Order: sequence, then structure tokens, then C-alpha cells
Amino acid sequence: MSGIIEVKNLSFGYTPQSRILKDLSFEVKSSSFVGIAGPNGAGKTTLLNLLCGLLSPEAGSIRIDAADIETYGIKELAQRVAVVRQEFVPVFDFTVEETVMMARTPYLGVFGFEGKTDREIVTEAIEATDTADFATRPLGSLSGGERQRVFIARALAQDTDILLLDEPTSHLDFKHQVGIYDLLKATQLEKGKTIVTVTHDINLAAQYCDKTLLLGADNNYYYGSVKDVFSSEQIKKVFGVSVFVGKVGKENFFIPLGKFAKDSGQISRKPDSNGQK
Amino acid sequence: MAEILTSKKLVIKIILCLAVLAVVMGLCALKGTQKISLAKVFQGPGERPGETIDYEIFIIRLRRVILAALVGAALACSGVVLQAILRNPLADPYILGISSGAGLGVIIAILSGISWSFWGGSPMAVFAFAGSLLTVWLVWYIGRFTGKSQMTGLLLAGVVVNAFFSAVIMFLTSIANSRQLRATIFWLMGNITEKDWAALGVSGGCILAGIIALFTICHRLNVLSFGEDEAKKLGVNTERTKVLAFGFAAFITAIAVSLSGLIGFVGLIIPHGVRLVFGPDHRQLLPLSAITGSAFLVVADTVARTVFGQEQLPVGVITAIAGGPFFLVLLARYSRKVSWLK
Repeated sequence: MSGIIEVKNLSFGYTPQSRILKDLSFEVKSSSFVGIAGPNGAGKTTLLNLLCGLLSPEAGSIRIDAADIETYGIKELAQRVAVVRQEFVPVFDFTVEETVMMARTPYLGVFGFEGKTDREIVTEAIEATDTADFATRPLGSLSGGERQRVFIARALAQDTDILLLDEPTSHLDFKHQVGIYDLLKATQLEKGKTIVTVTHDINLAAQYCDKTLLLGADNNYYYGSVKDVFSSEQIKKVFGVSVFVGKVGKENFFIPLGKFAKDSGQISRKPDSNGQK
Repeated sequence: MAEILTSKKLVIKIILCLAVLAVVMGLCALKGTQKISLAKVFQGPGERPGETIDYEIFIIRLRRVILAALVGAALACSGVVLQAILRNPLADPYILGISSGAGLGVIIAILSGISWSFWGGSPMAVFAFAGSLLTVWLVWYIGRFTGKSQMTGLLLAGVVVNAFFSAVIMFLTSIANSRQLRATIFWLMGNITEKDWAALGVSGGCILAGIIALFTICHRLNVLSFGEDEAKKLGVNTERTKVLAFGFAAFITAIAVSLSGLIGFVGLIIPHGVRLVFGPDHRQLLPLSAITGSAFLVVADTVARTVFGQEQLPVGVITAIAGGPFFLVLLARYSRKVSWLK
């Protein structure tokens, strides 16, 4: 079975000398949850920008719904792929409602007014993300977690099969991190959306993702199930730090330990678990 | 969902505001150094000239009032659009060199003593129009070279071209004789005079067409104020939107400038004021700014021609003197919380 996103031999570089992504191939199945992890500068955000058509591949191809991404018009692509990027505030004080309503832009006619259906979809997205309480407040007055939920609401209201997120939980506390991931998981399970999220939080990714893509800085990558990809050897190789690996129930957890960390002596004490020797 | 803008709500608001504007324009046309009575105006034109002087004066003033309304609408709309595409609340219609380009054109026209006219436009108007469009094109062209953060490049190019042309203008004024100087300075300060119906018709049609064209991209401007990448992800062709926005804004500003010289403040404070009260949704901001800009300039011009009796002031002086403090009051009074008008 072919995936809703198919990446084949993808290469991309901002300058001709250095390729940030090289020969990358993977497939994302419809209605699955994929996490992209890797060190800074490995090309995670670049990959996301390629997947939503902001950048064009240098070599290789990206297929969305079995058609090459280059064949989509800007509007058509926006009806298939929605993106939540790292949080930020616009110049003008739009309210939460107005912001979420903008998700309907790819569906609007000449004068750009939303109809009844559009408003219903927006109301639904606002309710699903628990943002109704501050729907009439300007975006600038919200906290980081609230704002992130608003942008997820907007992505939901865009009514696409694919949802791309760029570090949706950075700067958020535990409660909000879990809140966002639960929300994403619920959308995946209830609405059948395909979710691809870039994250620095390997532990959260391990708990929520079906598959993970681990991008290394030197163009190597690992793609597969969480267990296969997140092994202490591979994490050490990719991030260049030693990690302590423990096990919660089904999934492992990882604590990075530097030279002067209090427990740096504990690294050698690995729990026995599958996926590592 | 009570606060979300629908096309129906917008149409009602626009009609209400247009009604207010019509009343303001009517009242301002009645007002003047020569007193006229409304009753006599309604008698219409008489059979013999001179018999119904009130009506004739009213019509002459009305032409001027309509001109002020057109210029006000054009400047306010242009301000709205440029603030949106530059994502800079300090932008105004003149920021990209339109003012200095037009000014240079006018000075050249005055100094060289050209006296032909073109489509009912005086040589000053024609040169101002040409000068501003050429400068905008130049700024846009230079701005394109700077690549990635294109909007910053555009702003910088605008500022530099403005400064350079201003220097040239100062040089030319310093070598001009005093009679030419007075005409130039009046023009630079912004000056509304009576125009004939033909000129009003042509320029009015162009300005209205420009505003309608801009209205069709307003929902894209909303998304664009979140940044270009963001807008693309929401299915907006940002390149085309920017070119359209920039082109039409420059076009209506150039017409306004050629009609009335450099009237400051309207394009800056009207969009801000309307945004403070009604919110940032451009689909509403653009038409309401157009109407408010019209009303503001009509009133300002009425003050300019009446406050000192026969001696008329340049309207640009009034807009700056009245607009500044008025805007500060508005800024202090409304934070975004206010929603009674939404």
C-alpha cells in the first residue's frame, strides 16, 4: 500500500556546496502519526517546508496523494496540507476567531467572504482545541500554549488530510505539551488525519508517534517504528551525546547526560530491552 | 461567533457610513465665506444667470468637496494596503517615494514653464502623475535586487530614493524665482482647488476602480500580515498579491497626488484610527477607511478654505495640525478591547 506522502531520493541544499538533505526516502501512511527528530541544523524544518511546497526539491520527488507536489497549485496544496509553524504573533491584532477563520482562505471566492459552512467548520475547530474561552481576544494577549492551540485550530479548520507541525510543544510546560499531543492524537484517531510533526522531545514522540524519522546532521537518517529508530546507539550517533535509556511500560525513555551531569556514571547501566544490546 | 464579519454586516456598515459621508459632504458644500441658503439651492438653476447665485456657488463648492473626498479615499486606501504588504504600521502612501517623485515632476513642470494640458490635467498634474509612477517603479525595481527579505529592501529603497529626490527638490527650489516658489510650496503642502467635471469624472472613475480592485485582494492581505510563508501555506499566491496591491495602491496615490499635491497624515492616521475602532480585518478596514478618509479630508478642506476668510490655507497644514492630536487621543482611548462597534 502506498502512502499519502511519498518522499523519494529527496535532496536539497540552500547553497550548491552543501546539501542539508541528501537521498532521503520515506513513506507516510494515511492516518498515521509520524515524528521527525534530529539535532539542530539536520534539516527538519527544511524537510517540513519541502513537504508543504514552500521549497522545491533539488533532486528526487515528493508525492502527495499519489501526485507530484509540483503539479499542485498553491490553493490546491493548501486544501491538502496544513502547517503549524513555531509560534509567532502577527503585526496587527487579529482575534483568535479571525485568525482561525483565515484557514478558509483557500476555499473562498473573489471577494473573500466566508459562508455558513466555513463558519461551522471554524466553530468546530475552535471547540475541538478548547480555544472557545478566548475566541474574541486578540492573539497577542494569549500565552504561548494558548496561541499554539489557536494555530492548531486554524490548521484543523483548513480541513486538510495532512497536518504538518514544527515543534508544536517548544516553550510549553508539561501540561500543555501533553495537551497538544493528546489533541493531535485525537485528531488522528477520530478524523483520520495524517500528522507529521517535527520535535525535539524524543520522549513525547516515543509515546505518541507510530513511526519516527531520525535525521542526522551528516545526511544519514533512520526511518521506521519508534523502537527501531530510537535506540541508544543511534541517538548517540545522531546527537553526539550519551543518553540514559529507561523503560516506562511499552516505550523507552531517554535522558541526555553530559560529562558533568550528576548521573553521568549511570549511562553504562542500561536496562535490558529489545532494540539494543 | 457574534463578532465575525459577514458580507451582510459589512454592506450595512458601508451603507451607513456612506450616508454619513453624504451628509458631511452636503454640509461642507453649504459652508463657506459666502453664505448660501439650503432652500435657494434646492430651487435649482434659474433661467437667467445670476438669479440663482446660491445654487451656482453650491455646485462650485460641491466640485471641490467631491475632489477632497476622492483624494481622501485614495490616500487612506493606499495607506491600508501598504501597511499590510509591508507589514509595517508606520508605512504611509508616500513611503515608497511617491511623494518625492511627484514633487520632482511638479518642480520640473513649473521651472520649465510648460503650459499645455492633457486630458483636462494641468502640466503640474501630468508631471506629478508621471513622476510618482516612475519613482515607484524605480523603488520596486531596486527593491527586487535585494532578494530574500524583499520587503525590507523595498522600504530601504523607498527611504533612500525619497531622501535623494527631496535633496534635488530643495536644490531646485533654491534656484527658483519667488513666483514659481510660491506655486511649488503650495503644491508641496497639499492644496485642493476646484476642478472641472471632466477631470473629476476621469480621476474619480480611476480611483474607484482602483479601490474595488484592492478590495478583491483584502482577504489575502489578512493572511499576508502573518508573513509570506504563512500566507503561501494558506494557499495565497503572495507574489501576485503583492504586485497587485502595490500597483493599484501606487496608481490611486499617484492620481490623488496629481490632483491635490502632497497631503500628509491622511494615509497614515486614517487606517490606524479605523483599525483601532473596527479591528484589523482588511475587508472591512479598506472600505471604511476609504469613507472615513473622504470625510476627514472634506472637513479639513472646508476648514482650510473658511477659517481665515478669503485667505485660503493649504489643506495639508490642516490635516497635520488636526490629525496629529486627534490620532493621539484615539490611540490613548482605544486599546483593542473596545468592541462596541464591531
